[in-house]
Amino acid sequence: MTSVPKKSKVRRSLLQRYAAAPHIAWAILFIIAPLIFVAYYAFTDTVDGSVVFSIENLKTFFTPTYLKIFSRSVGLALISTVICLLLGYPIAYFISRTKPKTQRLLILLIMLPMWMNFIIRTYSISELIKDTGIINSFLGKIGIPQMHIYGKEGAVVLGMVYDYLPYMILPIYSVMAKLDYRLVEAAGDLGCNSFKVMTKVIFPLSRSGVISGITMVFVPSISTFYISQKLGGPSTLLIGDVIEQSYNASNYHLAAALSFVLMVILLIGLAVVNKYTDDDSGGMLI
Amino acid sequence: MKKLSKVYIALILIFLFAPIAVLIVFSFNSGSSTSVFKGFSLHWYAELFKNAAMLNALKNSLILAISSAAISTVIGTAAAFGIHHMKKKWLRRSVMTATNIPMMNPDIITGISLMFLFVFVGTLLGLQTKLSFWTMLIAHITFSLPYVILNVLPKFRQMDKSLPEAALDLGCTPLQSFFKVQLPAILPGVFTGMIMAFTMSLDDFVISYFTSGVDFQTLPILIYSMTKKDVKPTIYALSTIIFIVILVLLLITNRERTSEERLEAKRLREEKRLRSAIAKSQKTGKPMRVKRVSESSIEVSHGRSMNLTKIIAVVCILAIIISTCLVFSVFSKRTITLNVYNWGEYISDGAEGSYDTNAEFEKYCRDELGMNVKVNYNTFSSNEDLYAKLSSNAVSYDVIIPSDYMIARLASEGYLQELDFNNIPNYEKSITDDFRGLYYDPENKYSVPYTYGMIGVIYDASRVSEDDTGSWDLMWNEKYSGQIVQYNNSRDAFGTAFYKNSWDVNTTDKSVWDKALAELQQQKPLLKKLVMDEIYNMMETGEAMIGSYYAGDYLTMLDNQADNVDLQFYYPENTNLFVDAMCIPTCAQNKTLAEEYINFMLSDDTAIANAEYICYASPHANVYNSEIYQEDMGEDAISILYPEDFDFHEKYDANCYKDLPPEMKEYLNALWIKFATE
Amino acid sequence: MNNKLVELKNVSKSFDGEIVLSNVSLYINDKEFITLLGPSGCGKTTTLRIIGGFESADEGDVIFDGERINDIPPYKRSVNTVFQKYALFPHLNVYDNIAFGLRVAKVKDAEIKERVSEMLSLVNLRGFEKRNVSLLSGGQQQRVAIARALINKPKVLLLDEPLGALDLKLRKDMQIELKKIQKATGITFVYVTHDQEEALSMSDTIVVMANGKIQQIGTPTDIYNEPKNAFVADFIGESNILDGVMLDDYSVKFAGQEFKCLDFGFNKNEPVDVVVRPEDVDVVSVDKGMLVGTVSNVTFKGDYYEIIVDVKGFKWMLETSDYVGVDEVIGLYIEPDAIHTMKKSEYSNMFGDYSTFSDEMEHLSDIVEEEV
Repeated sequence: MTSVPKKSKVRRSLLQRYAAAPHIAWAILFIIAPLIFVAYYAFTDTVDGSVVFSIENLKTFFTPTYLKIFSRSVGLALISTVICLLLGYPIAYFISRTKPKTQRLLILLIMLPMWMNFIIRTYSISELIKDTGIINSFLGKIGIPQMHIYGKEGAVVLGMVYDYLPYMILPIYSVMAKLDYRLVEAAGDLGCNSFKVMTKVIFPLSRSGVISGITMVFVPSISTFYISQKLGGPSTLLIGDVIEQSYNASNYHLAAALSFVLMVILLIGLAVVNKYTDDDSGGMLI
Repeated sequence: MKKLSKVYIALILIFLFAPIAVLIVFSFNSGSSTSVFKGFSLHWYAELFKNAAMLNALKNSLILAISSAAISTVIGTAAAFGIHHMKKKWLRRSVMTATNIPMMNPDIITGISLMFLFVFVGTLLGLQTKLSFWTMLIAHITFSLPYVILNVLPKFRQMDKSLPEAALDLGCTPLQSFFKVQLPAILPGVFTGMIMAFTMSLDDFVISYFTSGVDFQTLPILIYSMTKKDVKPTIYALSTIIFIVILVLLLITNRERTSEERLEAKRLREEKRLRSAIAKSQKTGKPMRVKRVSESSIEVSHGRSMNLTKIIAVVCILAIIISTCLVFSVFSKRTITLNVYNWGEYISDGAEGSYDTNAEFEKYCRDELGMNVKVNYNTFSSNEDLYAKLSSNAVSYDVIIPSDYMIARLASEGYLQELDFNNIPNYEKSITDDFRGLYYDPENKYSVPYTYGMIGVIYDASRVSEDDTGSWDLMWNEKYSGQIVQYNNSRDAFGTAFYKNSWDVNTTDKSVWDKALAELQQQKPLLKKLVMDEIYNMMETGEAMIGSYYAGDYLTMLDNQADNVDLQFYYPENTNLFVDAMCIPTCAQNKTLAEEYINFMLSDDTAIANAEYICYASPHANVYNSEIYQEDMGEDAISILYPEDFDFHEKYDANCYKDLPPEMKEYLNALWIKFATE
Repeated sequence: MNNKLVELKNVSKSFDGEIVLSNVSLYINDKEFITLLGPSGCGKTTTLRIIGGFESADEGDVIFDGERINDIPPYKRSVNTVFQKYALFPHLNVYDNIAFGLRVAKVKDAEIKERVSEMLSLVNLRGFEKRNVSLLSGGQQQRVAIARALINKPKVLLLDEPLGALDLKLRKDMQIELKKIQKATGITFVYVTHDQEEALSMSDTIVVMANGKIQQIGTPTDIYNEPKNAFVADFIGESNILDGVMLDDYSVKFAGQEFKCLDFGFNKNEPVDVVVRPEDVDVVSVDKGMLVGTVSNVTFKGDYYEIIVDVKGFKWMLETSDYVGVDEVIGLYIEPDAIHTMKKSEYSNMFGDYSTFSDEMEHLSDIVEEEV
């Protein structure tokens, strides 16, 4: 007799075998290939019209000027991520504890702003917080000291928090909503006070949602250029701004080099974060 | 605790909706401000429906969103199906990782990386236009795909594994089994995925920003260029309409879902009843008649859920059909497109009943030349923007209107074509020797001047003491710390420091530039913001007290200034002189028509209309000499735009910006980054 | 009768290197009700799926009506399946579910209508045409699934634990109904279950499987009365399985005693497994008993008592209609025809006595099995 094959042939139709082929081709052409181009431009420079290998542009990232911009970007993005988490976590929890019908309505309300163009929303914020803006003219009328954050880092953080807060709330909520409330009751039964229930049961169980929320807020925050342009001032230049500026100054190699380093740093960060969560169910939105 | 949580939820919602509430309220503003409410009016809604650019951008956005959503839904659903059946773990994992990249990567990197690819491939293929509708479509499909796949994949996982087997068992081929059984089962996921793809596409700005060509401007990109300037409540009106449409759609879907849930509850109740009924009937031996009791009600609700499936299917199919039709209708028309690239708000565009230059030109072509011409008008916000677009070789324009030093640069780098003045007869009649043979085009080969002017200092006289004015020192005056705005553009910002100290703005002596940087750094703590066209809004509302900008723009600001603001203007001792001129780049696809356009711009009526609209000084002899123009502008304006005893031709060369050598440009960029950081 | 409709020849199958079926050969006669019986993981469902075409055999042949069908996809086989959880199409109503196969085969509407209504009366679901399948009870869904399969007039109907999801009472009724339907249609049924009672009451032939191998094929009575090895004996019904030695033809020694029996043909002094069914042991007074033991547990089962008796450390299970008390000493009497001897097999000694037995345990293991 012939030997038993180790793996069985599973009956799979052609359809099952090749349905993903167009997507795979697409991903190679339009996801992988472009990233290779980023690397290509990052490691080259144009000298007298010809492209030569060079790491000068990559080095630029590590000059004090750019490192300062980068650390500012990281700092502001971190602050807004933390604020989003502090604001978003409780509301996700509260919503998940309401009646299903209310939950759906509230989630719809949380999502609604995301459907509006973010540029116009950010612009609208600037109209609110400007020194002569709506809030200040109101404060002025009732005689309360006005606030002056427009053009400062605080305004940029406010813009980030505003634009990305739903990205924090939704994944946390979707994990919380699936959370079996009997576990909380069981914990209470086993003698946990409500603080302990929070730290020992709810927080660990919602970790996957928190982590995807953090990534979904942090990544766009660190790379934004519109928010800092619109709400920031002379001292709030972020790494995204510099990339956009070098693109607009036709310095593609520098734009690519900055993007490349930013991407590598983010990928390493994400890989580290993902190591702590093997659970992909908490996943993205919805 | 419960009350507290309610209050908390309410506060967060207020936070999230405050900006939206603002834009809804101000869309009904009778004034043109987006921060001071003057009274209720539907004026901006009326304006909106007259605003061809905005409606066109909306249409473009919809076409793009529908077609990218349809295509990514098809590819993504097939992909989810394939991925679901992948047996090799490594393959599945790597496909999923690749799929998720656009979602995890910052948009700016996705956008730039795609741009690199498109430009590279376009160059290989020798395409004239490397960025177009198609590149944008590809980009949008790329970032939509993960959302479709992530919504559909779980539906395949949730589906009873034996459903497709049952279909095969009953004689379906694998393809039939997919369409007859699996597709209906995963349809909700497909639908959500499609909706998400649609909205992501509709809302995307960053990726579109890097991958869009000239012939296709979407709404977010238009809004972006608008928010660089003075935002009119028109865009608020559009946003309000979009908001309401989305709200209604969401509420409807929400209701539909609620009713589905009710159905599910009913099913459970029914089941319980049936069980007891069966038990009873088995005891008595009678047939199970009890079941019929609520049958009719079930049928009704069942009919509804069936309809929903059908509606979704119909919507999907319609979306695909409409998008294909739209795409073909847009691109198969036999019209000639003329791509014009100009500064923002730098042409009379028909807003509020003004002369619509481009529409008039189209009409002229139709009536006089018998040609079907469509002017595709795009705007840039700095010479460097323009240069970036041109030098990327990604787009092709027919007419561009850069400033002097940029013209010199473009000409020296071979980006400009020589004009055939036989096709521009109006040139001879209208452009005097004062505006010929200037530095940037000494032989008058490449350009036809459009506007000229000088930079001055604008201040709010209600808060700035008259004694402090008169020179550039005002912008360095510590009394007004936090109230001064500076250019968000290296050349112009450094220019203020140079003129302040009467240095040569075109020097190649790096030490002078270093000194200028020191000046700027000294000024920096006093600055409120770096601005370009945002200065309009900031000065008009009193947000800033002092800034430097173009004389013509000051006149526009005057028209819009808030009640408590009193804007004044003066030319300091030294200042920048500039000319903006019309040119035809080498990438132009229709040179003769471009020359026709330039000629049309020089016709008296058009030139006057434009000069009145944009308030810049016109080099056109017949404009200044026109009585109507003098009357419409008023004496004050004329005296600012055309100062007496001022010989432009003579002073120009010493005070204009010239194209710096590459080495100096790089040095300037480095200084600028330094300024911005430290 | 007796013409082979389906035949498996030396079929083997493994998943990820784990052998699920090894060298399985069996044939199925036309118009037969055959049951594949065994614990979960024994390969019964895989066997069914190989016949249905959802899995392909690694080795061996699948013969259908004299033709080798290994490479024929499911939709070209004249075999239909009733799936474990019915796999009704949730987006179609009862009528459309049943008509599905005919529609795919492009049968004319008029004929479809006629055949669907025929099927609906066969499965007692007249008037349910327009109902949403997900709003039906389990039993009704079951009927729809059967109708949906039968309407295609398959030569063989495969049923994969079709009654697993129903509660006990309904299951019993459906067993009868299924048997009726099989008789009425004359279609060959291949039935997969882990429930031995179900298998015994419905089948013409039972195939007992374990660990990917066929343990025994036979009629229900054969299987019950003449189990081939300790596994079959234990799996079908309750059994006391003891180590014994065949002293001679018709004479066997176990539990330290010699007994007369009806078995013969073993070698002299060959070790054997001895099976005694609980209902075949009579409870008698100590002096009349062939064995003597102490009652350690009594459970009332309705029409009889189930008692556990300790005989020199071996716990016997007995069924008796007379009440005996715990700790009572009783005698056991075993008729020769109640003793069944089997050759030693790989399953010998795996199934011991009832020392760890409890009702609850059995119940638990049932649940576990159902969930798997």
